[in-house]
Amino acid sequence: MSAATRKPGGGRLVALILLTVPLAVYAFLYLMPIGSVLSLSLDNGALGESLSHIRAADPADRDAQAAALIADMQAMEPGRQAEVARELNQEMSGFRTLFLKTARASDGIEPTLAGLVVADPRWGEEKYWQVIRQNAAPITWRHYQRATGLVVDDDGRITAGGDDIYLQIMGRTLVIAVQVTLVTLLISYPLAYAVANAPRRLAAFVLVAVLLSFWTSILVRTTAWVILLQTAGLVNTFLIWTGLVDEPVQLIFNRFGAIVAMTHVLLPFAIIPMMNVMRTIPKSQVDASRSLGAGPVESFLRVYFPQTLRGVGVGGGTVFILALGFYITPALTGGPKDQMLSFYIADFVKRALNWGMASALSVLLLAMVLALVALFGLVRWLSARQGGRA
Amino acid sequence: MRAIKVAAFVAAAASAAGGAQARDLTIAGWGGNYQDAQRSAYFEPFAEAAGLSFVETTYLGGLAEIKAMVETGNVTWDFLIMGGAELQLACDEGLLEELDWEAIGQDGLLPGAATPCGVGNVVIGNGYAYNTEAFPEPPQDWADFFDPEKFPGKRGARNTPNMNLEFALMADGVPPDQVYEVLSTPEGVDRAFAQWDRIKPLLQFWESGAQPVEWLASNNVAMSTAYNGRIVMAKREGKPLEFVWKNHLVNMDGWAMVKGSPFKDHLTAFFKVVNDPENQAKFSSLMPYGPANAAAAEFLTPEILADLPAGDNIAEAAFYSDEFWIDHLDELNERWSRWSTQ
Repeated sequence: MSAATRKPGGGRLVALILLTVPLAVYAFLYLMPIGSVLSLSLDNGALGESLSHIRAADPADRDAQAAALIADMQAMEPGRQAEVARELNQEMSGFRTLFLKTARASDGIEPTLAGLVVADPRWGEEKYWQVIRQNAAPITWRHYQRATGLVVDDDGRITAGGDDIYLQIMGRTLVIAVQVTLVTLLISYPLAYAVANAPRRLAAFVLVAVLLSFWTSILVRTTAWVILLQTAGLVNTFLIWTGLVDEPVQLIFNRFGAIVAMTHVLLPFAIIPMMNVMRTIPKSQVDASRSLGAGPVESFLRVYFPQTLRGVGVGGGTVFILALGFYITPALTGGPKDQMLSFYIADFVKRALNWGMASALSVLLLAMVLALVALFGLVRWLSARQGGRA
Repeated sequence: MRAIKVAAFVAAAASAAGGAQARDLTIAGWGGNYQDAQRSAYFEPFAEAAGLSFVETTYLGGLAEIKAMVETGNVTWDFLIMGGAELQLACDEGLLEELDWEAIGQDGLLPGAATPCGVGNVVIGNGYAYNTEAFPEPPQDWADFFDPEKFPGKRGARNTPNMNLEFALMADGVPPDQVYEVLSTPEGVDRAFAQWDRIKPLLQFWESGAQPVEWLASNNVAMSTAYNGRIVMAKREGKPLEFVWKNHLVNMDGWAMVKGSPFKDHLTAFFKVVNDPENQAKFSSLMPYGPANAAAAEFLTPEILADLPAGDNIAEAAFYSDEFWIDHLDELNERWSRWSTQ
């Protein structure tokens, strides 16, 4: 008899714990960046600390605030002054110049509001002080406000008065992901059926073709679509040659191009799980249904199709979640109206150097995915309960 | 916290790579023909004189990489060429080494080229180009670019507000020297967007400077904003393209050194090499961008000068304002992306 049966309990438990170590490491490595993104989207610590005198000053006393601002400026290194100025400029154009000019002359400015106004008349305007006060706090909601277009008014009420551009983009991201998922499922279902049921040689050939594209770099496949679909590309040349169209059709740098390329990239993710499920369905079942008098359509719909739904669900879900986060493919094949949320996140990281805003958008994308997963779970639970009663 | 995490990661990567101490001098540039020309005009002569070996990498704009290097103290790039606005931002935030201009000397440099942390080195003409086979009557100025009736066909443009808004104002009749004055007012910004509205359905946005050349050559677009250098190179290869010099916008890319570079001793020598008029002339003869040292013109033939943003070509040019865009990019970028995505 083996060791496991002679000594149950302790030894096996240790072995099980050891087996889950990679998972624990993975979960930690997975959760840590999410945590840091979450904190980046709310954290105003660096900016808030640099404006600590302002934070402590009485908001009603203008001269005290002016003195606090000058004290804050004098406490900063020149490089830090520039960084603070750039971050304030993200809130209001022109703030950088105003802040840097004042900071560099701060030793010679009288620490009162009047003194600041002499140095630059813009300090007399309330809007600059509002921005400064908002940014002196250690925690900020301003990235979420900007991302959702919700504004907190003077009475502390939340209103939808802002710019909802990022919500629109999030909606678009969702729509594109749904479109891509539907097209992918429509194409991959018959393909998976063919691989699962065709004679061995043909099945192997189709499978290799699918895997070959699965193993090719996304960038290469995307660029190939650009070459095929462009105005003077192969597809258009062929269409004109056949006389189907007189002028080249716009097939790329729009939604069509983005969906074609994304679908192609994601097809294997749908085909493989569906194929695996279809292989487990005995052929004799459909034969039995036919011999009992059902037509081919009825046999398919009532016997075969319901059993493949598990594969469709796994494949469709994978494609949908992957499509939500797509960046490079729509960036290369879509137009400006087809860019997804990841494009704007990357733009904030790389170009605008506004990691707070990038983090807030990432958190919203993650929240959207979690909400959708929860929704699917709820639907499944409800339908299972109904199924139980029936 | 973020810095620590990045540092830990970088340290792990560096130890895996066998230590970063004894690395070669690393120069970051914009890639392509542009960097090839810089290699023969500057990198190779400099490395030979200094007895160093060097490696190259690609920089795609933004401050993210440099900021991460300086904050973590793991500086993996030494020299890099940046746009003027980003050079100034990086300098103000202490991400670049300061230069000793007395040691380097600034004879012949264009006004504004010498700054505390960098030197303007490459003068770039930003205008638009068209396929000469597309129009029997060639377009002349920005008004033609924004006129969809007179010049039908798709337009290529970069998906950013900077430069594009200036182009639009010049199309609307604003003289080149008043562009930024007008653009500082909300009405001026509206005027610029109104021009872009006229050709919005025709737009196709490019990301890299090579795209407009391909699109124009394959009749993918009828006209596209472009860098003069790319178009001239394509013309030399026999492609039927033409660059419109009237009211183009001139800007300068400049060299800088990342703060904390282990090659700081070579700072002055490198800047002497890139400022040298003969080296600049060699660069301009390989890549048709203008020299920042006026004395380089002596070493260039009239044929090459005719393709550069210099002399007669810049008689009616506008000069890009880094200061304006440092202040306004965030705000106008948001308006531009709202406009372009709707």
